[in-house]
Amino acid sequence: MNIDIRTKLLISAIFSGMALVYQKIDYLLIILLFNILTLALFKIRIKLLLCIKKLLYMSVIMIVLQSMFVRTGHPLLKPGGICLLTDDGIIYGAAIFLRFIILILSGLFVLNSNISELTRGLVKLGMPFEIAFMIQLGARFIPVFFEEMGEILNSVQLRGVDMRKIYKRKVIKVYVSIFSPIIYSVWDKAEKLAILLELRGFRTNPARTYYREVCFKKIDYVIMILYVLWAAVFVGITLVR
Amino acid sequence: MCFICLNSVSFTYEGKKTPAVDDVSISFDAGESVAIVGLNGSGKSTLARLMVGLLRPQEGKITLSGRPIEEYSLPEIGRKLGFVLQNPSHMLFNTSVYNEVAFGLKWKGEKRREAEHICCDYLHYFDIWDLRDELPFNLSQGQKQIVVLSAILALEPECLIMDEPTKNIDNYRKEKLKKLLLDIWARGTGLIIITHDYDFVDNLCARKIYMADGRIMADEH
Ligand SMILES: Nc1ncnc2c1ncn2[C@@H]1O[C@H](COP(=O)(O)OP(=O)(O)OP(=O)(O)O)[C@@H](O)[C@H]1O
Ligand SMILES: [Mg+2]
Repeated sequence: MNIDIRTKLLISAIFSGMALVYQKIDYLLIILLFNILTLALFKIRIKLLLCIKKLLYMSVIMIVLQSMFVRTGHPLLKPGGICLLTDDGIIYGAAIFLRFIILILSGLFVLNSNISELTRGLVKLGMPFEIAFMIQLGARFIPVFFEEMGEILNSVQLRGVDMRKIYKRKVIKVYVSIFSPIIYSVWDKAEKLAILLELRGFRTNPARTYYREVCFKKIDYVIMILYVLWAAVFVGITLVR
Repeated sequence: MCFICLNSVSFTYEGKKTPAVDDVSISFDAGESVAIVGLNGSGKSTLARLMVGLLRPQEGKITLSGRPIEEYSLPEIGRKLGFVLQNPSHMLFNTSVYNEVAFGLKWKGEKRREAEHICCDYLHYFDIWDLRDELPFNLSQGQKQIVVLSAILALEPECLIMDEPTKNIDNYRKEKLKKLLLDIWARGTGLIIITHDYDFVDNLCARKIYMADGRIMADEH
């Protein structure tokens, strides 16, 4: 479905806001369910999730650690009399995990759309064009940055450095030495980009026009109202209970 | 037995419909000198990246010295093959030109005196001794290319895979490079040179491979 970027932003804000407000697992599960339904409805590629697989692993580790520090509830794991894991801890960890997933999924919802569309949406919402444009450029250069970093790491290894076999101190040294050229190249790129932008007449005319306007259609209003209603009903029910 | 062997190798970049390397079978003997030529986008660089294990083929097998390439780690490959990337900026990560050339030698376990000696030799040979304390990123494109070449050549790998080594460098240094390559080839180093510079590889490489649309069109000995 082709909906306006601002509608997407609103939906994403509703979901992430709710994920931050609610702490109970059953509520979070319902929110997650609706979030996934929304993604399916708008045909967002869940495949994108694979890109952040590492982040997910990390969050799992964090959650396990978190739940180990909760002391209340019935102890479940008690090796040698030391309470390692309680049932409260598990519930707490699960809630954090659910929040995390909802936040990531609602982020995906926005990121899935065309980045220049996002800029136009942000400008329409009142953000100064310069800042929106910077966000656009940033999003455009992050992958380039990582690619460059990977390329340099590869060439370090191809010169015979085995990162897995050398001492920790040396690994840090190697990373520090690699980092400086990367910072340098990013800096260099930014400088060149500024010149390039001016050469192509960036901001010579304050009144900027757009080739593709973002505009609300009827469906956008319908969807926005539906989601706000849904959120209101949800909040209402949970308050009553 | 061949040194690098590719057996019906195909590779498609993510999100692309047509493969960048399409069912390529080819083998390189140890100490062979080969030129790979072809139009822009014909898949030469991709083929080179596959051969040094930076990319994994979706189909087919690649072996290096008889062992599948997946069994090697990158540093192990780096000790056998010297790879020069198409973009020299991606290979410069030290704080001075001198350190750039010395970097690999130190990690190779070369003695300090010996490493210094080799570095000086290469820097003098290519006439970049005056640049030894410069930041590598502040060099001109051709200077960067020469520094990268020196850094890789100094390691004396069994085989060199170079992606457009002569790009941006002047005729004087090009001649020196050619002389050096002929010299190390005569001493048994393999050369695989990807290039658009026919003159450079003309009497350097006995074998020429033509690529188009990810396939090998001709393989002249
Ligand atoms: N990182 C990449 N991601 C996606 N597609 C790529 C990537 N790199 C190359 N390609 C595509 O793969 C094909 C082969 O590219 P390759 O870089 O191997 O060509 P090449 O023969 O080295 O060209 P050139 O002479 O310009 O260096 C091209 O069609 C290109 O569009
Ligand atoms: Mg290329």
